[in-house]
Amino acid sequence: MYEVFFETIQKQVSLTKKDQAILKSYLTPKKLRKKQYLLQEGDVCKFVAFVEKGVLRSYTIGEKGNEHIIQFAIEGWLISDLYSFLTAEPATYTIDAIEDCELLLISKGAHEDLLHKLPVYETWIRLQITSAYIALQKRLTSVISLPLEERYQGFTALYPHIVQRVPQHMIASYMGLTPETLSRVRKKITTRR
Amino acid sequence: MPKRNGAWRHAIVVLHYQFETKMNTKQAIAIIGATGNMGAAIARSLAKGNYRLLLKGNDKNALDALSADIKKEHPLADLEAITCSAEASWEADIIILAVPFQAEKEIVEKIREVANQKIVISIANPLNETFDGLITSPLTSAAEELQNLLPNAKVVKAFNTTFAADFATPVIDGKQADAFIAGNDEDAMETVKELVSTAGFNPIIAGDLSTSRTLEAMQLLLIRLGMKYNYNWLAGWKILHH
Repeated sequence: MYEVFFETIQKQVSLTKKDQAILKSYLTPKKLRKKQYLLQEGDVCKFVAFVEKGVLRSYTIGEKGNEHIIQFAIEGWLISDLYSFLTAEPATYTIDAIEDCELLLISKGAHEDLLHKLPVYETWIRLQITSAYIALQKRLTSVISLPLEERYQGFTALYPHIVQRVPQHMIASYMGLTPETLSRVRKKITTRR
Repeated sequence: MPKRNGAWRHAIVVLHYQFETKMNTKQAIAIIGATGNMGAAIARSLAKGNYRLLLKGNDKNALDALSADIKKEHPLADLEAITCSAEASWEADIIILAVPFQAEKEIVEKIREVANQKIVISIANPLNETFDGLITSPLTSAAEELQNLLPNAKVVKAFNTTFAADFATPVIDGKQADAFIAGNDEDAMETVKELVSTAGFNPIIAGDLSTSRTLEAMQLLLIRLGMKYNYNWLAGWKILHH
């Protein structure tokens, strides 16, 4: 239930047995089935979710009901509406499960307590947010400056596991393309080889 | 203009209120002991709300019969029959222990890990076999004992002063029955308040978890009065105030 979590954290910071016990006491284990919502737009996001097992996505819903995927999350990743979590304003993202999931939720209260109680948690969460910021910068740079083929190839090289587990129309949505355009891009890449 | 300012403030307050109380995201509620009198009554009454109900019982046939029955009245209800307490509690955001006080200890051992940080509702009244006294010491309550067993859960006392029949008839003699809530976590109590409203009762946050001692004793009194004056198990509490 906690294996991936502790393994992931210990790649970046070292935890004593006592640290592990404190951390564990603050986590909320939660199962979520495929297609179920973890968060719906308009609700205040009261947690950050760590993925022990499964795949989720966060997205915004356009006026015509079209979905724009912001982020995927697989084992070892965090997912949340960080803006809503930190400000307690209504969420602008919706988060749901693409596969059956096993999650560990860190509630707002738990997050605040852990920041005070456990310096290694603060270090870890800072590293997480820093790398999320860098990833976001890279995503933005790629969206505004790279040709489509390079963007798709960059994505598949960086996240091969996501490409395998997520349907193509969601990859298209993540890239801001229609499924038809994505299909043309992929064809172009294959013929070029 | 101060007048417009006031109107805006009101609009913002209303908007805020809506966000606070009406959640879009469905919460999952495990009802442990769903085929019992109280469990089934709670399941039926919450089926009209925006909840996913995980009905846990030992008898799969009885669970399926209950689900089918609820579906008849609420075709859109999101129900799942589960025969494992730990599985039901793992998926749940809120766990309702709708079992007798004496059975709680055994269940707690099965769900302790997956109940971590979750709201656990204690509905039990620790009555003795002759229904004329409580088996807990006056210095504690069933709810506090549950909290000791689940130190990392948010135990909330609720639905202990309402009989199973009250859920079908929450308005008795023209008055909506009150239902009291006690706990140590403000957010958890607000969430439970929503459940109590959905069930049709008037929720009253009574105090911290130790207030459960009074709430449990109140139900002992109501049971004894019910037996003495034959209330036929349809009775409740109503605080009169101006």
